[in-house]
Amino acid sequence: MRRQQLEDMLFRGTTKLFAVGVLLLLGAIMLALFIGALPAIRAFGFTFLVDSTWNPVKQIFGGAPAIYGTIVTSIIAMLIGVPLALGVAIFLTELCPPSLRRPIGTLIELLAAIPSIIYGIWGLFVLAPFLQSTVQPFLKATLGEIPGFGILFSGPPLGLGILTAGFILAVMVLPFIAAVTRDVFMTVPPMLRESAYGVGCTTAEVVRNIVLPFTRVGVVGGVMLGLGRALGETMAVTFVIGNAHRISPSLLAPGTTISASLANEFTEATGPLYTSSLIELGLILFFITFVVLAAAKLMLLRIERQAAK
Amino acid sequence: MTIEVSPVQTPAHPPMPARAASLAQAPMVSASHTAERAVPQTKVAVKDLRFYYKNYEALKGINIDLYDRRVTAFIGPSGCGKSTLLRVLNRIYDLYPGQRATGQVLVDGHDILTPGQDLNLLRARIGMVFQKPTPFPMSIYDNIAFGIRLYEKLSAQDLDARVEQALRRAALWDEAKDKLKQSGLSLSGGQQQRLCIARAIAVKPEILLLDEPCSALDPLSTQRVEELIAELKSDYTIAIVTHNMQQAARSSDYCAFMYLGTLIEFDETERIFTHPKERQTEDYITGRFG
Repeated sequence: MRRQQLEDMLFRGTTKLFAVGVLLLLGAIMLALFIGALPAIRAFGFTFLVDSTWNPVKQIFGGAPAIYGTIVTSIIAMLIGVPLALGVAIFLTELCPPSLRRPIGTLIELLAAIPSIIYGIWGLFVLAPFLQSTVQPFLKATLGEIPGFGILFSGPPLGLGILTAGFILAVMVLPFIAAVTRDVFMTVPPMLRESAYGVGCTTAEVVRNIVLPFTRVGVVGGVMLGLGRALGETMAVTFVIGNAHRISPSLLAPGTTISASLANEFTEATGPLYTSSLIELGLILFFITFVVLAAAKLMLLRIERQAAK
Repeated sequence: MTIEVSPVQTPAHPPMPARAASLAQAPMVSASHTAERAVPQTKVAVKDLRFYYKNYEALKGINIDLYDRRVTAFIGPSGCGKSTLLRVLNRIYDLYPGQRATGQVLVDGHDILTPGQDLNLLRARIGMVFQKPTPFPMSIYDNIAFGIRLYEKLSAQDLDARVEQALRRAALWDEAKDKLKQSGLSLSGGQQQRLCIARAIAVKPEILLLDEPCSALDPLSTQRVEELIAELKSDYTIAIVTHNMQQAARSSDYCAFMYLGTLIEFDETERIFTHPKERQTEDYITGRFG
């Protein structure tokens, strides 16, 4: 009796230690980042967030271009990747012949297994020249002609830039979102599906009105997983974004992201303020992903509360 | 003999969009209201129906007629093919590759098994209610309005009226009228099942397929659903699969006993339960089946 109690206590203690350990680690990382960033925060204060100067010689640093690049490339990745991934998941669960389901599903999951450095090389040597020679001139000639909106596609088609990074990220997040959404689509009870078909729905209507509302929590989860990856992706983006610390209205222009700046410049950071500024960028990235996840959770809570009403 | 005119089928339709118009012109036209109660007319004629799950023959040549505005109950042990038969009647099996049917299923003389059917239209004409309640992930109101909106363009007022009508017919209006905006999932199991029935009849089908509609319900809810069936048969051709002998005896006009994919006996319910012709039927309904 006493021995069993002891066992239970030990078991509870160890598992609690693991759980608390993760929290402690998280806190420690945050703290370390904050301490590392402190000199930069002291030196630049709030202007770090809006200033786009990045001058290692004069030791003046502003994080705005990196923050802007991180957010914009992720938005592009989501705009392209989410519809594609949902399409793939819908095809796999609703329309695909069963004999093809497994091969196609596996191939898409394999996309996630490609190391990001490979994506980077592919982006640099294959995708970027292709975009430069065909897609970007086309975008300039069509969307670029729209007054106001066209500024997004102005300037010379360089191949390397924000848009290209967004494309690469879209391909990279696709397997994550597709795999998660496919799995949650499969949780729709067959009878629910059948009753929707039973009132005369087409497949598109079943997906829009039954499958998506039923699985929205999981779908949002999948999208957030993809977004988290897009925000933090380093290697592939560093290859194709052009690494320029400036904010340009055109998506065709080169830019940078937080992670690309960190990867590129850490080794050559001269002076403590330079290093500290880079660490502050890291802290900001941490903050952005945290806010995104928190917003997603809040959104889900609100959706669920509405559904329960 | 009195002539029954249903309140549900009489209202004139407002102008319909293309999809609904084709619904009205489809070859299946519901039997006229003047049909006498005493002489049942065949609504669905099943001829030599065979059904296969891949290579397994689940239905082995079924021949049966379902009569217009009558309740036909299907009884038999699990796996005898009752539900399969129901799933053929609205071709819901088509969703699953590897399942196929041969033979003929004539609905008003029109074979629905031939290729090139408009399945969405067909399923709108043949409503189905499943074993477990399956409310859609939307509000109670939208659960009903959803199916109507697919086929008819109604003004908000007309739509409200149709939703109310369907809920009233399903005996759910009094319980649901104050929470139409709430999720369909907030209802109790019995209410959810009546919601599903309301949803099925809201699109004005001609045939109602009920696949063990009460198996997940408590006795009180079961009673309400049975009352509902009795009430609905004045307008619909109803086929019900049930494991409950009493339910079959209480609520059906005709009864079919199936066993291992074949139809053993089909007759008026009264006769099946009092003077069954076949030994197997008698054994089953008296609980001596072994």
